[in-house]
Amino acid sequence: MKAIKLLFFLVLAAGSALAQVTTAEEVVKKYLEATGGAKWNTLEGVKMEAKVSQGGMEIPIEIVQLKDGRTYTSITFQGTKIMQNVFDGNVLWGTNFMTMKAEKSDAEATGMFKTDLGDFPSPFVDYAAKGYKIELMGTESIDGTNTYKVKLIRKPYTIEGKEVENVNFYYFDADSFIPILLETEIKTGQGKGMISQTTMSDYQEVEGLYFPFSMGQGVKGGGSQPLTITKVELNPKVATEAFTLPADK
Amino acid sequence: MQPPWREGHKFCCMKHHLLILFGLLAWTLGTAQNAVTRGKELFGDLKARHIGPALMSGRVTDLELHPTNPKVLYAGTAGGGVWKSSDGGARFNPIFDDYCQSIGAVAIDPGQPDKVIWVGTGETWTRNSVSIGNGIYKSVDGGINWIKMGLEKSERIAGIAINPKNSNEIFVAVLGGLWSDSADRGVYKTSDGGKTWEKILYVDAKTGCADLAMDPANPAVLYASFWEFRRTPWSFSSGGNNSALYKTTDGGKTWNKIHNGFPGGKLGRMGIAIAPSNPNILYTVLETEKDQDRGLYRSDDAGASWKQLNKDFGIVVRPFYFSRINVDPRNPDVVVKCGLTGSISRDGGKTFRDLGPMHSDIHDIVFAINDSERIFAATDGGIYRSWDGGTTMEIVENLPVSQFYHISVDNEEPYNVYGGLQDNGSWFGPSSSPGGIEARDWHSVGAGDGFRVLPHPGKYLVYSEMQGAENVWLTDVAKNQVRTIQPLAAPGDPKLRWNWNAPMATSVHQPDRFYMGSQFLHKSEDMGNTWTKISPDLTTNDPAKTNAAESGGLSRDNSGAENHCTIFTIAESPLAENIIWVGTDDGNLQLTQDAGKTWKNVAPKVAEMPAGTWVYHVEPSRFAKGTAYVVFDGHAQGDFNPYVFRTTDFGATWTSIITPDIEGFARNIQEDLQNPNLLFLGTEFGLYITTNGGKTWSKFTNNMPAVAVHFIDIQPKTNDLVMGTHGRGVIIIDNISILRQITDEVLNKELHFFQTGPATLFDENSFGGTSGETQFVGANPSRAARIIYYLKKRHTLGKFTMEIQDANGKTVAELTPGKSKGINIVEWGFTTKAPKVAKGQTLSFDAFTTPRATAGKYKIVGQKGNESFAIDLEVRNDPRSELTAAQRSQKEATQQKLFDMTQGLAYLVYELDEIVKTAQQVEAKNPKLAKMVAPVISDFTKLKETLVITKGDNYVGAGEPQLREKMAKIYAGFASSFFAPTANEMANFQYVESAYTQAQRDFTALKNLHLPKLTGWLNKNQLPALSIQPFDVFLKQP
Repeated sequence: MKAIKLLFFLVLAAGSALAQVTTAEEVVKKYLEATGGAKWNTLEGVKMEAKVSQGGMEIPIEIVQLKDGRTYTSITFQGTKIMQNVFDGNVLWGTNFMTMKAEKSDAEATGMFKTDLGDFPSPFVDYAAKGYKIELMGTESIDGTNTYKVKLIRKPYTIEGKEVENVNFYYFDADSFIPILLETEIKTGQGKGMISQTTMSDYQEVEGLYFPFSMGQGVKGGGSQPLTITKVELNPKVATEAFTLPADK
Repeated sequence: MQPPWREGHKFCCMKHHLLILFGLLAWTLGTAQNAVTRGKELFGDLKARHIGPALMSGRVTDLELHPTNPKVLYAGTAGGGVWKSSDGGARFNPIFDDYCQSIGAVAIDPGQPDKVIWVGTGETWTRNSVSIGNGIYKSVDGGINWIKMGLEKSERIAGIAINPKNSNEIFVAVLGGLWSDSADRGVYKTSDGGKTWEKILYVDAKTGCADLAMDPANPAVLYASFWEFRRTPWSFSSGGNNSALYKTTDGGKTWNKIHNGFPGGKLGRMGIAIAPSNPNILYTVLETEKDQDRGLYRSDDAGASWKQLNKDFGIVVRPFYFSRINVDPRNPDVVVKCGLTGSISRDGGKTFRDLGPMHSDIHDIVFAINDSERIFAATDGGIYRSWDGGTTMEIVENLPVSQFYHISVDNEEPYNVYGGLQDNGSWFGPSSSPGGIEARDWHSVGAGDGFRVLPHPGKYLVYSEMQGAENVWLTDVAKNQVRTIQPLAAPGDPKLRWNWNAPMATSVHQPDRFYMGSQFLHKSEDMGNTWTKISPDLTTNDPAKTNAAESGGLSRDNSGAENHCTIFTIAESPLAENIIWVGTDDGNLQLTQDAGKTWKNVAPKVAEMPAGTWVYHVEPSRFAKGTAYVVFDGHAQGDFNPYVFRTTDFGATWTSIITPDIEGFARNIQEDLQNPNLLFLGTEFGLYITTNGGKTWSKFTNNMPAVAVHFIDIQPKTNDLVMGTHGRGVIIIDNISILRQITDEVLNKELHFFQTGPATLFDENSFGGTSGETQFVGANPSRAARIIYYLKKRHTLGKFTMEIQDANGKTVAELTPGKSKGINIVEWGFTTKAPKVAKGQTLSFDAFTTPRATAGKYKIVGQKGNESFAIDLEVRNDPRSELTAAQRSQKEATQQKLFDMTQGLAYLVYELDEIVKTAQQVEAKNPKLAKMVAPVISDFTKLKETLVITKGDNYVGAGEPQLREKMAKIYAGFASSFFAPTANEMANFQYVESAYTQAQRDFTALKNLHLPKLTGWLNKNQLPALSIQPFDVFLKQP
């Protein structure tokens, strides 16, 4: 009987895909429910320990993101920490690899960063209140699996002096409503005009919230750089100085 | 499809219940099985790579500029889709890969230029090799996503005009069918953004809309040129009584001919252009019955009257191929006319001069929105840009839209790919090159249009040809010597008829044998020196189809492109040299089994195969002499169905292996080298693969555009599938041997590992290539070990890890497993873990070098959720390596010593830093001890200064190299070398080793001297004791 129940479940599961959802709102609602629900709103910050493998080197990375927008990524090379994408609430900065000293990011990069402030923990949490728009583009097979493609339109960026649309495409697994791919047109720099892709998998629960513990970053048609997350800490205590642009010594 | 249980089944009893349940289960499994055998879901990580070339680029059909942002422009191409530049034309990216790649027109909505883009498919420059379109598409996000908006039967779209004040109102010029009558021609209008279309101007089934222009100041005024035209495989006709130029002033409700000033009689193809700065000024170019009437006409009264101004060669040349005219947006008297070279007038069309040197055959010319000195031109050889009003032209270097008619490969390592291109000669280039495959890697081996290019099976010689076998060349690549070898007419011969794309073939049985086909099959046993005809005329020799010299219609066009009743394909059986198959363009499929003594026409006589259909390719089987595949192509008679048949009895009977899975007419089939059920089919819309002998086909779409695949080959050493595409250059799928292992049993397993054979440590490194960022560089194949498995379902939830263990179970590398449903390919570049390095002020870049794994047996060990698995992997040395076993072992042992010393030094420096830090704590806690602590700190610090760099930065401010840097240098030298250690290196190793030993001694001496004192101070001042982590714990720290 147990076997029959399981079979029945399998049959239903196989048939349910793509049957119900017709709007982006539903997809996003199910995604938030499936990954933690209301708990996302109470989250104050996360600290992630991760590693990137590059040519056999395992590079340890620590990423901190706080609800107020402060963030840093610290990369450790040969015991030396290099700070990247650090935001103290006002200034966006990073360590220059040559001098190992802190340098401010350019005004447009900082402006783009500030445009997206308030996205923590996900742009989809209270997206309407943030003035974001979402749109269901249809279904698509990604990594061989059925997904819902949702267009997210955030506040416009200013790039090379011109206002441009700030659009991302999320692909949510049609069975679990968990995002497995994020696509964005690269608007500036060497990859301009190409489509960046971030894949997400190995979702695991951390105190009631689900995070992807494996990600891949690349451009469409090209290779992908994997990032493996080894630990996620919720609501971490981080000293204010960790975000502050250091004074030149 | 509705699953059956949604239709209101009620379960009344247990028996019934179970029956239904099992029925459902069978249905589900059936569905699941079908689902996994299809396309993306099967092929997973198996991805195509593009190697170009882009140096000669390919035919570009339409250019479109953003009306307000000078950085943005779009290019429609003949067979390579749509490309977008966001940097003013320096670089382009493809944005239309999933759809028909033959483009007629691209248009930007002037009301929403950042968002709404329209693409009309189907090129309108109707040469013999032109492809087909399948409708009109719209993007509302600047080209990221596309929606098909109908007009599926339009075949070719010549223009799209969008009302600048109303984005929903669009007019479309449908030129329509090239090879058949069509009621779908004409001008179409939508008033609802493309949801519905109304045909607002139709002339007849032979006459389509060839150009369309909207008055920028008054969108109710439009001009439409209509053109009567037709192509058959043996003729082309331009012009007729129904060709005309029309105007509407009421948004398309009523149209009137505007011929006041035109000559009488038949007209041909006309372009129409409005001067944006003065919409009363119009230009058109007429193709007429009399030569003196042709050329550029201008109207200064919005079409009420016309005056002929110029009939230079550049203006009247080949109207079917070049008819476009454009006017400078700021100056109504500056006019450009497309043509063989492109022409520009600065006196309102009275006189013209050629544009500067660039690739010939210009299809579009546009002026930048803010600066008329900036000009872009679309040619048969890519896009050119000018900064000086068209005098100097420079090519865009990252547009790999080359149009191969045919490709072949050799057996070199890396192998070369050979092929010929539409209007771009014959070439060969490597499948792999240091830093990627660049423009400089390609070698030219033929002029004119290129078609078949074949390497001699054993010598460094290359056969190539130009159109109609006007010349067939044998190039000695090493000596730079070219000779002409085509069969020439001998006494008593009729005129030899050669196809535009004349067939040639080599033999696997006789390396010097070379075949060519006119209407006869010609054979040479000495590489083209001596020729023998080994057949009678194998074609229908139909006099009605052999008048190509009369072709063209109003403008004679005898280029040879319409030569017909010719042999098109020749294939000698790989199993028996006496078996030769010959296919002709007029529908004969001839077979000889006695090397040409007797011939039999065995074209399939089945109802679905229209007689006279072009035999495009014959593929004799590698597995049975009587088995062959034949591909028929009826597109040049307006039949776009694919036709592929298999015979197993020397052509006596034929079975179609086409299924409804396949879209587009087919041109080529390739049988796998080992698995007779694995077949690859090239169609006008991409690549299809069957793993079950043609029962079902899957479209391959992983980094594979919907491009016309004209020829496919498999390289026998690498098992790479190599495709010659007609619009996206050479595309390769590396090592398709995995597909040989696909069975239903495999597809039903949750996780299945494929056999990949041993992995090789290739001893190769280089400084890479020379290309800049605006140049196309083709992708190289991976040299990594490949771990390949099939997943029945994508892995999304829970952990999935993978690592490589050596024979002792020690982890040498961690890998990121692929998570896709279908085939996953995980690569391991043989890198093992890098050593832990002493912390200094700066980074030691040499110490980032990771040791390469050594040959031997490894295990891939994985954990997917609760499931664990282990697979063996054998790694072997490069067979070309010259290292002896003793040298290899000396190299590996020394490298390991250096690795261990590097980590030992790291630990020593860590310990030293901890001691200094602790001493500083004493000093801080009890300043009275400062004087006594100072020498301790100073002694250790002085030692440290000899161990690592303690000052400066990572650039030119760096300090002098110390022991860490010296050690890393020689370590990196060993770790990245493929050679036996030299005396020089061994001496340096000893130098570093003794310095390290000395450092250890010095450190121990200092510890003996100072640590007892330090311990005493710590005790006395209630400070925690010196704490040093054990070595193994230290190694794990970041």
